[in-house]
Amino acid sequence: MAQEDVSLSRLVITLTVIGVVSALILSVVYQWTTPYIEEHQAEAKEEAIFSVLEGAVEYEEVTKNGITFFEGYNESGNLVGVSYIAKGSGYQGTIEIMVGADPSNGEIMYISVLNHEETPGLGARITEEQFKNNFVNKPFGEYELVNREPSDPYEVETIAGATISTRSVKNIVSEAGLTIEENYGGGN
Amino acid sequence: MNLLKILTNGLWKENPIIKLVIGLCPTLAVTNTVENGLAMGLATSFVLISSEIVISLIKKWIPNNVRIPSFILIIASFVTFTDYFLKAFFPGIAESLSLFIPLIVVNCLILGRQEAFASKNPTHRAIFDAIGMGLGFTWVLVLLSTVRELLGMGTFFGLEILGAAYQPMIIMILPGGAFITLGVIVGIMNVINRKVESQNG
Repeated sequence: MAQEDVSLSRLVITLTVIGVVSALILSVVYQWTTPYIEEHQAEAKEEAIFSVLEGAVEYEEVTKNGITFFEGYNESGNLVGVSYIAKGSGYQGTIEIMVGADPSNGEIMYISVLNHEETPGLGARITEEQFKNNFVNKPFGEYELVNREPSDPYEVETIAGATISTRSVKNIVSEAGLTIEENYGGGN
Repeated sequence: MNLLKILTNGLWKENPIIKLVIGLCPTLAVTNTVENGLAMGLATSFVLISSEIVISLIKKWIPNNVRIPSFILIIASFVTFTDYFLKAFFPGIAESLSLFIPLIVVNCLILGRQEAFASKNPTHRAIFDAIGMGLGFTWVLVLLSTVRELLGMGTFFGLEILGAAYQPMIIMILPGGAFITLGVIVGIMNVINRKVESQNG
């Protein structure tokens, strides 16, 4: 390693060269891996659509007001529910949730967390059944976080130690319910 | 020090986890299943080996004042590569390790070996050091996760081992179980070392 007194320009040049070379290599790697990553995400999306729309056997993409909705249909071709990917910021990074809802009775059916960067073991527990079940059959509206068994249909039980993550999910799902209601009507 | 000694150094004498006690964050966090432990060990080894090779090759041109930022840049590039690679070809593993892959950047084991070894030694020696340290890190991770998965879930690599009658000790797959297991392993290693030393001395 060079020990002699080095000029500032030498330091700048060294770091710049390493940075540029790294960036070039990574951009090649990015180009190479992106199609595979997108393929996995598309599969995960499809799986999520069917998991949040119980009874659906096929779905159709419909764009309304700039949002892509997935309308799920059952075997006899009737609409069982509508879902879309709702996003919001979590504790670190964006949380993406597939929210399925039944506009005919104005209730959330189920949610599935597609992407998140929450802390493993704490915030990441938003992906667990027990937490997601909080939202099953919730009427559209603004939800409230509680630290006990929910007694009101608008209440959601938090995960101990993960208040910020649970609040984000609650806000995302609240908004998603209202968005679906706005676009498809609800409760009529 | 000959090459074989450099290699075995990381496996036992200066084992990163049980002797130097560095890189504990991923060690404690992801060893709840053998699959995660092994994947973490291999991912870290890959980053360690590639960055030791690159840094020992270009060490002449890096001015002393900016060596740490240069090392971090190189390490971060390899970590990002690993992250994309796992996401593209091993999506299951990438999902279960999630955040801990990008966090390999700050694993002090990796930066520590660049400082202590790769920046002072020729490339062929750096390769042996990296392999030794990487394997040393991996075997402890695998041992730790084997104990934790076996006791915490009754399984090994997801296969049922202890049977349905076994009542899993949930604490073993929670963070507390990691501390307990690591403590016991380090204790056993120290006893073995002391025995060996007293026999030799």
